[in-house]
Order: sequence, then C-alpha cells, then structure tokens
Amino acid sequence: MSKRTINDYVQVTRQQNIDELMLLAEKLQGLKVKMVNSTAVGGGVAEMLHRIIPLYNQLGLDVTWDVIKGGGDFFNVTKAFHNALHGSRVEITQEMFNVYRETNEHNSRQMAFDSDVVIVHDPQPLLLVSKRNSSRAKWVWRCHIDTAKPNPAVWEYLQFFVRQYDASIFSSPSFAKELPNPQYLIYPAIDPFADKNRELSQSEIEAVLNKFHIPNDKPIIVQISRFDYLKDPLGVFETFRLIKKSHDCRFVYAGGTANDDPEGAKVLAELQEKAAQEKDFHILLLPDFADIEVNALQRAATIVMQKSLREGFGLTVTEALWKGKPVVASAVGGIPLQVIHNFTGLLAYSIEGAAYQIRYLLNNPQAANRLGVYGREHVREKFLITRKIRSYLLLFIALAHKGESIIQL
Amino acid sequence: MNKSAVELFRFYTSSLLVQISGKKAANLPEFLAQLRLVDESVIFYHIHHAFREYYFAPGQYSNDFARWIEDEFKESALAEKIASVELLEVTSLAALRDQLVKIMEQFLGERSEKQEAVPAGREFYFLANVGIIVPTQYEVRTIEEFVLALERVGMRSLYYHFFDARLRLGRKTNDFSNWIRHSLKNEQLAKEIELLDPYLMTMDQLKKRIIELCLGERKPPIMKTLAGRLYARFWKRGK
Repeated sequence: MSKRTINDYVQVTRQQNIDELMLLAEKLQGLKVKMVNSTAVGGGVAEMLHRIIPLYNQLGLDVTWDVIKGGGDFFNVTKAFHNALHGSRVEITQEMFNVYRETNEHNSRQMAFDSDVVIVHDPQPLLLVSKRNSSRAKWVWRCHIDTAKPNPAVWEYLQFFVRQYDASIFSSPSFAKELPNPQYLIYPAIDPFADKNRELSQSEIEAVLNKFHIPNDKPIIVQISRFDYLKDPLGVFETFRLIKKSHDCRFVYAGGTANDDPEGAKVLAELQEKAAQEKDFHILLLPDFADIEVNALQRAATIVMQKSLREGFGLTVTEALWKGKPVVASAVGGIPLQVIHNFTGLLAYSIEGAAYQIRYLLNNPQAANRLGVYGREHVREKFLITRKIRSYLLLFIALAHKGESIIQL
Repeated sequence: MNKSAVELFRFYTSSLLVQISGKKAANLPEFLAQLRLVDESVIFYHIHHAFREYYFAPGQYSNDFARWIEDEFKESALAEKIASVELLEVTSLAALRDQLVKIMEQFLGERSEKQEAVPAGREFYFLANVGIIVPTQYEVRTIEEFVLALERVGMRSLYYHFFDARLRLGRKTNDFSNWIRHSLKNEQLAKEIELLDPYLMTMDQLKKRIIELCLGERKPPIMKTLAGRLYARFWKRGK
C-alpha cells in the first residue's frame, strides 16, 4: 500500500481541491465500503486500489478490499469473457457459464457484505450481486473494460446481473449500455507519485537511455505499448519511415508481452525483422514492473505517439500528457477523451496522418510545447488520483440520495 | 469603518457527478432531435463544463456541441454560431435550449442533402449530472472578510456563485453582486462585478478581478490594512 498522505497531493493540485475533498469526506465519516476484484497484484485495477484505498481511509472512510479466489478454469473463462466484451469472437459454452457461476457462488459464501457500499470491479466477481438482497449495502458495478461492441451472447448473459446493481460506472460514455439503473462516468486515473509518473532527474533519464543504448542526439519519438497487433506496431514503423524522409529522429517502441498472450512473441519477431536495417528504430522488450524505465522513456521523448487500432482508456496516453509531452494518437477507445484535437494533443486516423502530425510538431516546437502544457493541465483537472477520489466521494453521496439531480448538503 | 451586511454571505461549493444519459446522436438531424428532448441540465453541462475544466485556457475550447460539429462535420460556420451563443444574456436553460435549437433548425432547413452518420464511437453522447452542493466554512459579513474568503475558496465555489447563479436566480447577476447590492447596499460595486465577462477569462483572472474591484472601493488609506496588503500583492503579481 502507498505511504503517501492526502496532503502530499498539494504538490500536484491546488490546496482548495484537497480542502474540498476533506469537506466532502466530512459528510461520509465512517462509511464502510468494500471493494472486490479478482487479483491483488498485477493489472491496473489492483495497482490503483493499492494506492487509493489508504487515501480514502485517511479521509475518514472505512474502505476494505477483498479478492475473489478461483482456479485456472475460472480465470480461463473470465479471460474469454473479457475478450468477448472487447468484441472478439469467442466460443462460449454452457460449461463455461457453469464454472463462472459456481466460482462466484463459492466466493459469495466466503465473504461478508456488511458494508454500506459494495463496489465490484469488472466481470469476474459480477455475480456476487446475488447477495444484494440479503445485505443493506448499495451495490455498484465498476466496469473497466471497453464494452462498446461486446459479443452479444456474453453481454446478454452478463447484463442480467449488471441490471441487479444499484448503479454502474463506465470509463467512457461510448462503453455504457441501456440499463435501468444510473450509469456514471468516472475516468481512470494515474497517481503522480507512482514510479511510472514521479518526477525523474536528468541523470535518471539518461541512465535508462544508456541502459538501452539509445543515444540522446536527436529528437526521440516514443510509443509505449505491448507487442500486440491492436497497437499497430507495423503501422508505427511505417509512420517512422515517413517521418524519417524529412526529419532525422529516433523512434523507441517499448513494451512487454502479456503472459496470457501467445501472439506477443510473434508480433515482436515480425517487427524486429521489419526494422532490422533501421538503426534509429529501437525495439525494447521490457520486463514486468519496468515502471521507472517507462517513465524515463516518456520523459526522454520529444513526442509521444499512441497509434493503436483499439484501445481501452489508454492510460499510457494519460501518463505522457502528465509529463507535458505533445501526443499524437489514434482516435480510438478513451483516447479522444484525453487528446482533444489541437488543444491537448493531435489525433490521427492513418499512418500518413500520424506522420504528418509528428512532422508538424517537429517543425513547430512552440505549438508542441503549448499542446504539452494544456495536456498536462487537462490531466491535472480530470485524470489524477485526486479527481478520482472526488468522483467516488460524490458517488457515495449520490447513492444515499437516489433519484435526486441536485443534492444540497 | 467596515460596513457590515444585513445578511451574512456563506460560500458554497458545487461538484458534479457525471451521469451517462444513454442518449446519443450520429448526425446533425439526430443531434437536433435530442437537443429538443434531453433534460435541461444536459444542455447546461455541455455548454458550461469547459469553463470548469479548461479554466487554464480561456477561449481555447468553446463548448462540447460546437467542438463535435467542427471535429466530425467540419461545419465551421455552424460550430461558430453554437460557440457564440450569448451566454451572458441567458438567464434560463429553456432560453438557452431555444437559442441552440433555432440555430440548428436554420442550418438544417437550408440543407437538402442527406446527413451521413459518423462512425460508431464518434457519436455525440449526451451527459447529465448530479450536482452536489456543500456549504464551506466561509461565512462573511464585510467586504474585507469577503475578499479573504474568496481568495481561499476553490474554483468550484466561484463557479457556483458566478456561473450557476444567473440560472438559479433567473436574472443577469451573480450571488456576489446580489449580496453586495442587497446586504451591503453597494450598488456600484455590485454593478461592476456584474459587468465582468467570466467567459473570456480564466477562473484565476476572474477571482483576481473581483478582488481588485472589491479592494478598489477603498483607496490609499486602506493600504495599511490587511485588505490593502492583499491588494498590493495582487497588483504586484499582475505586473
């Protein structure tokens, strides 16, 4: 758990914002909230819960966190559901539904639901809501997945349970569904004090560049992404080739491969083969938990690119914007919420478009600088952990005032 | 001597929990249809939230409607009209909706060609909100106390008393002017604050201007007071 105190965040947001968090929290003293998800380590949800829960508790709430347990068969099923919700074609059998239901039932018998609010993260523990009628809690489903175009069979099955919640939360309006209960928009957030985002000294940045043998001799364009076709690594390389025709620069494509993604190694090999003759195109396979390396590469960048074909919310974009970097990114998933074209960054829809925007920024450092400044302020206002805490405090208040659109406390 | 108000002024702060309305539009006729139907608070949110959230860049981001029309349809003249609605003149959400609907009707009435839909995911999503209003600890009875409190409260408080107020009160004024006029009986200062155009400055600039106007009420002798020192500090910072 993070050792930061809520007052430390005065370094990144105005004192008044912290004062207002305390003011809202005063109305919620002692409120018992239970968070439930499916993993204690790894993944963005667990990472954020580790950091945010101590802050809620410092504010006087009583927030606890439980993790459901399941076997390999259960997690295979939920991985398939996850992909299906992202829109992939996945074959789902009755046996899979059975495994899913039984594991949830088993967990629901092991857990106590004596809090005022239960927040269930993602589909894995979704069916715990079967305990709703025997608890006094308000139940909220927090969906972190891009459900804009889900596999209809899987969504049909899951929505029966989603409808039983008092409310649900999505990360983008386009992910929301037709549901009988309120759906709230709460953005994911980054913690500016996490290793991936904290300030680094120039020597720390240079140490990472040296470690990866990247000379700091010309503009560096960076994309941080898994080796996954959905991040368009080959398109990224084509973009670099177009830029290189008029600008001498380096490109760093850095990322890991998820353990559960057999395609990752193939994508990496393909990219390596394609870029073999290009000494200024650096491909870095990062190990797990390479947060400081990612941070340093983003900070070393002249421009950060995110040329994904599909994206969830796109927290790597948030990280780059927070570092004041001009960002050129595809208009997919949650990216347009962050990159407002020609205001907080530039959007592109093709390889040629991305190359053009990057060449424009390389030629116009003042414009690039302005985008970087506004991008950072945009993140400060909307996508920092303090904003997320505020949104949840407001949610807790709204849950106690069902149906009211103006709540005067 | 400082003039004390008949009634105390309490600073409030308002926060918005954004709610997804489930309504969306993929082309301009659909957009107009929804504009006629959605709750007034939805319209208020899309027209105003930029002032809360993009306070660091005044004038750089018009409003969500204009932005979408420009980005997705490249209809710059229409976007410009939607962006230029005279918000200072609007004292009711019904009037604001009427203005927007009229602009859209006029535009679509002049068009005969079929409107293409934007690709999935780039539709306009109408957002509602739950407003949560909380009293702050600041309660004041004189201009000096008012200035000190205003310096300390957050942007959401300024927003509530300045932007929200016109619609709440149904008049072209704001909570500050209202209190100064009726409780402090200072018509001139109330008027001067009313004349500020909050849509063309940052929230920090707005706050600073209000404080300057309040302190400008008192000339040199006040420089020795706390309020005077505050004024001097702001004056210096503004240089």
